[in-house]
Amino acid sequence: MKAMNRRKLITVSAVLAAVSLAVTAVPAQAAEVGVSSSEIKLGMTLPMTGTASLGYNKIPGAAKAYFDYLNANGGINGRKVTLVVKDDRYVPTEAVAKTNELILKDKVMALLAPLGTANNKAVAASVNPARRGIPVLFVNTGFSGFADTKKYPTTYTVLPSYIMEAKIMGQYIKDNFAGKKIGLLYQDDDFGIDALAGFKTAGVNFAVKVPYASGSQSAAAAAGWITKFKAAEADVVILFGVSSATSAMLGVAAQLKYAPQWMLGSVGGDATTIKLTGVPAGVLYNAIGFSPVPATTDMKDEYVKLFSDIYAKAVPGSPFDLNVLLGMNTAFMTAQALKAAGPNPTRKSLMAAIDSKGATFANSALVPAAYSQTNHVGLTGYWVGKYSPTGDLAPVGGTYVTYTTDSGAGAVVKSTYVRPAMPAKGLPN
Amino acid sequence: MYLELRRPAVHKKQSRDIVLFILGGVVLYFLSGVVDELRVYQGATIAVYVIAISSIILLTGYSGQVSLGHGALMAVGAYAAAVAHIELKLPIILCFVIAVLASAVGGALLGAAAARLSGPYLAGTTLALAIGLPSLANQFGVLGGEQGLLFDVGFPPLSLGEEFTQYKWFFWIAGLAALISMWAIKNILGSRYGRTWRAIRGNDVAAQLCGINIARSKILAFTISAGIAGLAGALLSMTIGTVSPSAFPLALSFSLLTGAVLSGITTLAGAMIGAVVLVAIPEIADVVAHRIGSSERVTTNLPGFLVSALLIVTVLFVPNGPVEQHRARKAKHLASQK
Amino acid sequence: MDLLNTFLIGITAGTIYALMAISMVLVWRSTRVVNFAQAGMALLSTYFGYEAVTRLESFWIALPVAMIGGALVAALVEMILIRLLVKHSTSGPIAGVAPIIATLGLLGVIRSISAMIWGGQDLRIVGPVSNDGFTINATTLVFSPLKLLILVTVLVLMLILSVIFQKTNIGLALRASAYAPEIARLSGIKVDWVRTLGWALAGATGAVAGMFQTVNGNGTLSPDSIEFSLLLVSGFIAAVIGGLDSLIGAVIGGLVLGLMISFVLMYVSSGLFFIAPFVILLTILFIRPQGVFGAKAARRA
Repeated sequence: MKAMNRRKLITVSAVLAAVSLAVTAVPAQAAEVGVSSSEIKLGMTLPMTGTASLGYNKIPGAAKAYFDYLNANGGINGRKVTLVVKDDRYVPTEAVAKTNELILKDKVMALLAPLGTANNKAVAASVNPARRGIPVLFVNTGFSGFADTKKYPTTYTVLPSYIMEAKIMGQYIKDNFAGKKIGLLYQDDDFGIDALAGFKTAGVNFAVKVPYASGSQSAAAAAGWITKFKAAEADVVILFGVSSATSAMLGVAAQLKYAPQWMLGSVGGDATTIKLTGVPAGVLYNAIGFSPVPATTDMKDEYVKLFSDIYAKAVPGSPFDLNVLLGMNTAFMTAQALKAAGPNPTRKSLMAAIDSKGATFANSALVPAAYSQTNHVGLTGYWVGKYSPTGDLAPVGGTYVTYTTDSGAGAVVKSTYVRPAMPAKGLPN
Repeated sequence: MYLELRRPAVHKKQSRDIVLFILGGVVLYFLSGVVDELRVYQGATIAVYVIAISSIILLTGYSGQVSLGHGALMAVGAYAAAVAHIELKLPIILCFVIAVLASAVGGALLGAAAARLSGPYLAGTTLALAIGLPSLANQFGVLGGEQGLLFDVGFPPLSLGEEFTQYKWFFWIAGLAALISMWAIKNILGSRYGRTWRAIRGNDVAAQLCGINIARSKILAFTISAGIAGLAGALLSMTIGTVSPSAFPLALSFSLLTGAVLSGITTLAGAMIGAVVLVAIPEIADVVAHRIGSSERVTTNLPGFLVSALLIVTVLFVPNGPVEQHRARKAKHLASQK
Repeated sequence: MDLLNTFLIGITAGTIYALMAISMVLVWRSTRVVNFAQAGMALLSTYFGYEAVTRLESFWIALPVAMIGGALVAALVEMILIRLLVKHSTSGPIAGVAPIIATLGLLGVIRSISAMIWGGQDLRIVGPVSNDGFTINATTLVFSPLKLLILVTVLVLMLILSVIFQKTNIGLALRASAYAPEIARLSGIKVDWVRTLGWALAGATGAVAGMFQTVNGNGTLSPDSIEFSLLLVSGFIAAVIGGLDSLIGAVIGGLVLGLMISFVLMYVSSGLFFIAPFVILLTILFIRPQGVFGAKAARRA
């Protein structure tokens, strides 16, 4: 019996080894990973389900809507752009696993707009796309640390950083709410800590700061938050969390008839998403909000008009909101980068294209992007608006007044940036 | 004379085991050289699961105590290793040792608390632990909060060559750890302690009458099982690169139990089967779902469905695991032939 | 004011946990199985309720629909799974653990199937009455018409259940089948059907818990929602705290758990949200390993 066991083990190992040898016949090397003569493959990880997915799970549909429009109009030099999407449920360890799949199994050319501060950090630490030369384009987070080109040499941001946003908020508070008590709701990780750093630079002193652990946001928790804000008698409450936290807060506030001056961060500030959870529009009325791209209800804006048309045809019945606009905007910028990468795009040429031409890429934002050979930072500012009686964000007084700043100690200045006209039909030229 | 006849047989068994394990190591080394990166990464994950599942086999299969919270014990080991690495700046090997010790202490405490509990009450306590313990990291800054700590074992040494990928390095470390732990567990289970546990599991009143201190044995089982789970946890964090509460959800504890049942909850050799199944099922589900050409909804949830369904089927029809079932059937066949 | 609010939040959550605990005790008492899938069945029943609410626009019709659906699912599970379980795995080391593992598997199966049919995104169920707090003298309490409704409904359900158990023949049959199945059979009680009934009652109760847990939260339903994970853990812990044998224990366990969690969240730290149940459970089991109202150790499974 014992001899038979040993023989069995040896036989099994030999078979295993032989099989693995056969299986790993290396296929012919493609020109570049993820690029074939007919297709360019990109990969995205974000929460499609789970507590944090509210609103953000429309982004893949939006990006794909733009890419389908692009492909129907010739694609990029004849190649179709396809997007592989994986659900990471906003959990950093799942983001790592899914990103591994994108790189090792789906063999994508580049990672597009992965969402979440903690997720991107975890991926950078363990999957290490930088070491493998994989571009991480237009990350869907405002964490200022990703601008560090030494630590993240292949990463490009697009959203203004949380420090920038906090500084602009701080300036607005100084100009309009001097002497009032300010309260802050923030997420208990690098996302929130970044904001705190920005507020510190802006010199904002909080009467009360309430952190929440990512994943614990719920109606029951919100009741506890409100108790703390009430106790500190906050006049202005800044909600610097994800959409599900903001909605929980506003929903419970409506039930308890708690109504301070609300200030919503852009991450969780999409009105359509919030209203879908049952928050009455009246709660949002007169809240202050920020956005780097035009208001989603501004049909006079050529980008908003084109994008909402494309989206309405691709995903009928789905409302056009900030997540959709940002998703399509990022897809548009990606298309331009791919085009600028040349007739035979490689990962290196893609990154070189953004370094040299990224600042001039057409996009719907009303603030400039700062890409350069030494800088991987995208948009640099916001316009300030107020939510209308129907709960939609619109610029104060009807005209966009934009502010730009940096993630350091630079001042907040009014921007004189004039957005160039959209290229014909919204396609890269 | 009876004792003399027994001793050489024991030695022959031990040397045979060592040869088998070395052989296993050689096979793994060979495999890692020719398989592509994805499989190597999966291989590392399988090795981690093998260790974790064998810890459950030891606890539930041998000492009869059910634990739904081994994910939490893995977390203890992982955090201990990460903190040792970051705060105390210890070399990696020592960090793994600390992981084992820390989780063993945790296991001893849990075992002491659980010694008086049985069946559903023990299950409930470990369930609550599985959910509560990882989130404790949010309370203490040094534990990194919700997004956790970085656990970077560093790049493979240059002496192995430029082409030696990070994942291969993980596979080597995890594989070696798995081989060593399996050998250690096999010896523990074959020792006096293993026999004591089986006695308790079979009939604890009779065991007590034989002079076995039940509480102490149970706590010992928990301690050793926890230490092993802690090692698995530290290795898991190595492959992911970070330690955070979200790496140790309730689903992990359930998966481990599933893997243990699939392998055969009393069969150490089966731990490999359970581990491979756990890693292979999402792949198979993916292929099946794409073959059927079904919607996003089905593809995302098919792996979970398959694992759970497999668990139910196994518990109903092959409750002692495929290996044990096979042996039992053979024994019955032999007996009926006499 | 804070104290009152904390108390009210805790009591409301506690009654829902109590419902869940009751359904687990019902299952335990009829078949000596701890059903980890109870929360999963509650989830499925709540999806039935969602369909009813969306099509018929009435919560009041949806609730009985969910209850009936829950009862049917539970009965089916008992008839197929549990009977198979009892038949196949009464020996070997796995005997004590097998039901636990099987129900865990069932939990996963139900969750996956729900996600496959309804998808992973949030679905809304609108409650029957508003969840806006009562306003007294310009201060608004956390207590709302909805929470009042939940309290009343749970109390009524508990009364009905205890009347069934203590005062009716069916109740007697249920209790007898659990403790002495052979003797019950000899008395002419159809033990198998009585067990199925026990599960059906548990399924209906779980459905109510699921529906209320959803509308008491932010009204959204999804396979992975926090609300249902909470329900799973808290229901079980409440049942264990109270002692698995006692319905009254389940109620008290649920209330105690709900209150303590609420107080810990408000006055200690919101980060202890997940560890609090564990500490509470451990403390109680340390003092009384069979739960507060549980029967003595001799009646161990």
